[in-house]
Amino acid sequence: MTALDTRPPARSSSFMRGAWRVFELSLGEMLWSRRTVFLAIVVGSPVLVAAVIRIVDSMGVTPFRLNGQRLDYTAIFGVMIWLLFLRFIVPVLGVFYGTSLIADEVEDKTITYLFTRPIRRGAVLVGKYLAYLVCTTLVVLPGVMLVYFLIVPFQQIGGSFTMLLTDLGLLALGLAAYGGLFALIGAVMKRPLIVGLVFAFGWEQFALVMPGYMRRFTLMYYVQSLVPHAMPAEGVTSLLQAFFTSTPSALTCLVSLAVAIAVSLTLAGKAVERREYVLDQ
Amino acid sequence: MTDSPTAGQPVISTEHLSKWYGQVSGLNDVTVKVPPGITGLLGPNGAGKSTFMKLVTGQLKPSKGTIKILGEPIWGNPALYHRIGFCPEQDAFYERMTGLGWVTALVALNGLEPAEAEAAARRALEAVDLLDAAEKKIGAYSKGMRQRVKMAQALAHEPDVLILDEPLSGMDPLMRRKTIRLIREWGRAGKSVLVSSHILHEIESMTSNILLINNGRILAEGNVHQIRELIDTHPHSVFIRAEDPKALARALLVEDGVISMRFEPGAVSVETARPDAFYARLTEMAASGEAGVIDEVTSPDDNLQAVFKYLVKQ
Repeated sequence: MTALDTRPPARSSSFMRGAWRVFELSLGEMLWSRRTVFLAIVVGSPVLVAAVIRIVDSMGVTPFRLNGQRLDYTAIFGVMIWLLFLRFIVPVLGVFYGTSLIADEVEDKTITYLFTRPIRRGAVLVGKYLAYLVCTTLVVLPGVMLVYFLIVPFQQIGGSFTMLLTDLGLLALGLAAYGGLFALIGAVMKRPLIVGLVFAFGWEQFALVMPGYMRRFTLMYYVQSLVPHAMPAEGVTSLLQAFFTSTPSALTCLVSLAVAIAVSLTLAGKAVERREYVLDQ
Repeated sequence: MTDSPTAGQPVISTEHLSKWYGQVSGLNDVTVKVPPGITGLLGPNGAGKSTFMKLVTGQLKPSKGTIKILGEPIWGNPALYHRIGFCPEQDAFYERMTGLGWVTALVALNGLEPAEAEAAARRALEAVDLLDAAEKKIGAYSKGMRQRVKMAQALAHEPDVLILDEPLSGMDPLMRRKTIRLIREWGRAGKSVLVSSHILHEIESMTSNILLINNGRILAEGNVHQIRELIDTHPHSVFIRAEDPKALARALLVEDGVISMRFEPGAVSVETARPDAFYARLTEMAASGEAGVIDEVTSPDDNLQAVFKYLVKQ
């Protein structure tokens, strides 16, 4: 063993440079974590459903009918995007990853290595958030594409492919919005997972079906207003859709979500900077 | 980068520093100045060493009083970490990463470009004798290797002040000797080192300048020799995990000062009245391999607890 004698140059890290380094460090760990493997299985379930639909259809059986009419394949895909991905998978991923961005490092006692480096703690949070975003996008988007190619017949792909791209962008936006909000909850709350689940599957579900302004205090209101698919116009679905007819414009939705993300991350960063993390001995 | 701390100016200074965890006191009204060079922080488990280390490294905010490192407050001052390297006590890693990948990624957080970071990481791993295993995953490292890779990440950016929390814990005798030599080299190279331990023998082999801490208070600071005799009157127990504990016990039985032995699965616990001679002999045996491979040496803090009780009564 020898003492070192070549000091590397010391440069002050900008906030985003520090965040990028944390992103690089965290992405691999996040991608191969048990949580991601488990959630890949959850995300795989719609693919399984799509495969079953495809098999049933290839056997000459019409899988879905509405008023005796065969349901359009792009409509089936739209319903899956809306119900399975946007209403369930995106909030679930947001809750489980967002609330644990810093908590996981604290639990694993590896936070010490990040908090004793010359970068701001807020940059650590932002770097972990970016890693979450890339990790979940890499899990969700290929699943969506598989569902699309399984459900939509080859002949219809040309006409609806733009819709798929919009869906992919929308899901990424949903992941960003929910991840940001739950990162804030994770930074300030003592039991963030419970609070996050109550918000996503309690408050949001309740507020969305209530008339008036309450739905504006949910993220889902803005996310699902951007869904490009026309929903079936009759039956229970149309009843549900009626609740969402007073949708805001796309610009309003995009600006609202961008503001929500920016405000959430700023407040979360400030909370992490101020908070002490006492590791169990 | 500013210059290294100049002689005489304290590297760490605290004024009435206290830390409470709710109703529990972790550190109580500590005023101390740590000079440049190597300083040992000695105290039994639960004495407040880790709290002090966490305050020194800016992980915790003082409840009361002030703490300055190199003349600057550390809490909320990330730029100061360019000049500080910290090796924590906890055995926590990104297990799937290689040693080189992990140290490179951490030193990159100091603002280094990827190539510079990798070069710095390689130098640090070489300094702790871990370059051969640099491409192995940390999950496959032995306890001693894990300790060394932790030290590598602390020194890769060549800080002015190194803070080492129980750095020798779990190392085999040879690696202990090498690490002690490395720490002393750093001291000679003008670096300041604050090293904590609950084993006087370890601290004494690195420095004679110590801070004695117990119940969240600094009991004494200064030269280690003043309490040396007191320590010697108490038997010192050592836990040794080895490939062949029986062969090791046979070889140790003839040594002067060995008071008792107790076998445990894959290990032997020895009580000795002459710790210095005992550790020297153990290192020889590890080097020659005469009693098989010695994997790990640890010392419980029972003996130090007894001394501290005695000190407090005085």
